[in-house]
Amino acid sequence: MTQAATVAQDLTALGFVALGVAMGYRWYRDRGRAQGMLAGALISLAAVAALGRIPDPPPALSIVNLVLFMLSGFFVLLFRHEFVPLGRTVLYLAYGLLAFAIVVGIVDVVAFSNAPALVVSIFGILIVTPWAIFVGEPIARFWMQSNKLPAVQRARMRFLSAGFGLLIAVLFVAVVAGSAVRSPTAILLTQLVALLAVPVIYVSFAPPSLLRRIWRLAEENEIRAALQDLLIFSPTRQVMAERASYWAARMMGATSGFVTDAEGNVLATAGIDAGGAAALFASPARSVISAPLHLTEGEGSLVVVAGTFSPVFGSEEASQLSGYANAVAAGLERARVTERMAALEDNKTQFLNLASHELRGPVTVIRGYVSMLEGGLFGDLNDRGRKAAEVMAAKVSEMNELIEQMIEAARLEEGGVTVHAVEADLRDIARSAANVVMPLLDADHNLEMDLPDRRVRVKVDPERTRTIVANLLSNAIKYSPDGGTITCQVRSRAGVARVAVSDHGVGISRDGMAKLFTRFGRVLTPETEHLKGTGLGLFLGRQLARLQGGDITVASVEGEGSTFTLQLPLAGAPASADGASDGGREVAGSAPPAVTPTGKSPNPD
Amino acid sequence: MIEPRAAQLMWFPDYGGLGGAGAPGFEVVPFRLKDRRRPSIHVLMIEDDSSIAEMYRLQLEHDGYRVSVATTGEVAFSTLSGSAPNLVLLDLLLPDRSGFEVLAALNERFPHHPPVVILSNYGEPSMIDRGRALGAIEYLVKSRVTPAEISEQIPGWVEQGRGRGQKES
Repeated sequence: MTQAATVAQDLTALGFVALGVAMGYRWYRDRGRAQGMLAGALISLAAVAALGRIPDPPPALSIVNLVLFMLSGFFVLLFRHEFVPLGRTVLYLAYGLLAFAIVVGIVDVVAFSNAPALVVSIFGILIVTPWAIFVGEPIARFWMQSNKLPAVQRARMRFLSAGFGLLIAVLFVAVVAGSAVRSPTAILLTQLVALLAVPVIYVSFAPPSLLRRIWRLAEENEIRAALQDLLIFSPTRQVMAERASYWAARMMGATSGFVTDAEGNVLATAGIDAGGAAALFASPARSVISAPLHLTEGEGSLVVVAGTFSPVFGSEEASQLSGYANAVAAGLERARVTERMAALEDNKTQFLNLASHELRGPVTVIRGYVSMLEGGLFGDLNDRGRKAAEVMAAKVSEMNELIEQMIEAARLEEGGVTVHAVEADLRDIARSAANVVMPLLDADHNLEMDLPDRRVRVKVDPERTRTIVANLLSNAIKYSPDGGTITCQVRSRAGVARVAVSDHGVGISRDGMAKLFTRFGRVLTPETEHLKGTGLGLFLGRQLARLQGGDITVASVEGEGSTFTLQLPLAGAPASADGASDGGREVAGSAPPAVTPTGKSPNPD
Repeated sequence: MIEPRAAQLMWFPDYGGLGGAGAPGFEVVPFRLKDRRRPSIHVLMIEDDSSIAEMYRLQLEHDGYRVSVATTGEVAFSTLSGSAPNLVLLDLLLPDRSGFEVLAALNERFPHHPPVVILSNYGEPSMIDRGRALGAIEYLVKSRVTPAEISEQIPGWVEQGRGRGQKES
């Protein structure tokens, strides 16, 4: 047992020497004042452990050992002083306490080497207590401060605290229990506990990667989720830079963070105001850690203002920071693209608006002159000239139609469409629409108006509603290339007025239905691909119908024909109890019908 | 009122004119004159686009009107001080000021100014309302009407302006 105890004592001494050497090497590599203090503490502790193994030391050696021991504790206090500076008074008190303990120790060695156990214990307490104060206060503080730190830093701080905590415990037990622990078993136990402190302290300054990974595990998911939010869901560059600053600071356990662009302008900050950030960036303090942001316009910076403990315990995070900065830079670039896209989307609507209005000018002139040519203002045209003028007029009209649709589409997107609803008779609107499309009818097409006898009162914008119906009629003509009868039926039932336009044309496939009402969506088939159209008509029609509380629906059989139905709410009580029973029919062929309420021709041209 | 061509009317969601052109039940048959000579009518066109002004001038002079063209608001004011046109055709985009400003200034400086018809490339409801509020008797989108259609309307507008003038005085 005695031998085991001796071996344990040797092992412990060896362990502390190894710890001292490791820390010394680390300090030699990294330098840094704080590390120096910790190295001082551990190296002197190693020396104490080694000297302690010398049997029957001369008094001088005992004194050296004692001084080294006191210094090891005092270095821990100085280590703490590097992070959280002590007040001047406290520092003087600490020096005083150090001197006192050393004096007591020397007195003990010189005058009381053979004193009874109780005296030895009292001297022991007088020496160990200052040491415990020097070490205990910092480790308690470290432990508490570590709460606010990222996982790895926190764990390292706690291991350091725990290691020194173990040493304090061992020393007190050894001193207070005195001769009780002189038994080999007790020595073995205390030595084993002291030995345990060696790896615990070691991992605090040189944590193996496996441990770091384990510590980080819990935090990793949170950081990953935050990074994802940051990179994917930040709506603007600004928001993204702000979040990046916040997370950089948090990752580092730093007090604040900020992002600068290539010119050094502060883009965003977290935990610091822009002015403070700019000042820090202009003259970086020791506590500033910066990672480059590779942006298209040059190199910006992701900067964190180091927290109290980050220079010593944040080396891990500092290297992570540059990887993080790369992701942030990529994200900032993406945000820039997204912002540009949004601006472009806005611009697109503006462009649609502007372009269409600008186009109206030239179209006015072309259309004007063509109409004057046709009207014989510049003399009589020969047949070929007349034909040419006709074609030009038709083409200019097409262009005009496109412009009108573009303007209406832009206006819809801006939410600028206002509906001037007045009470009107849907039959009149249908007739008026029929007049509009009359010139499109040829010998093959026949338009049948199926209108009820009584008024169908609707509260709508007559202009827009006529536009919708005329568009449905024009489509019916256009998509019945082989001709046939097109029916325009007006009915009212159950509070809903309907205009149903049916044709016996090409019809629409099931797949085509989905496209019908989308903007610029056209259903192209071999039968229809040669037909001109903007793909805006039904989109606008449905939007305008919905703006008026109605809708457009469609029923179609491919190859047999389609029926498009415009539904509109009836004004007040239904004008007709059962619209379907009305059988009034007006048949309109190629000849212009007299259908306006005034009884006069609506076509002045 | 003016009934533009069919294809053009396919999309006529804008306001078609202060009289409600094309609105069912409100159709007004244009005032047609068989006689092309209308020597008494003097039209002032305030229009900075020379190709459009020239086109209208050709048609209107062909139809027997006397036509003056002012390319800016300022020129228009000096024309109005010198002579008394029977009708003003007003463009909204002018180099020195907007047509609305011209119309407002007209109301202020020439309380008994001739009737004003706005001819614009813009058909926004808000602009039409503004034109109406400023006392324009008609607001037309240029690309929707031909010179001949405008020419045909002129006697009606002049008449309308006269009627209003009498009511006011």
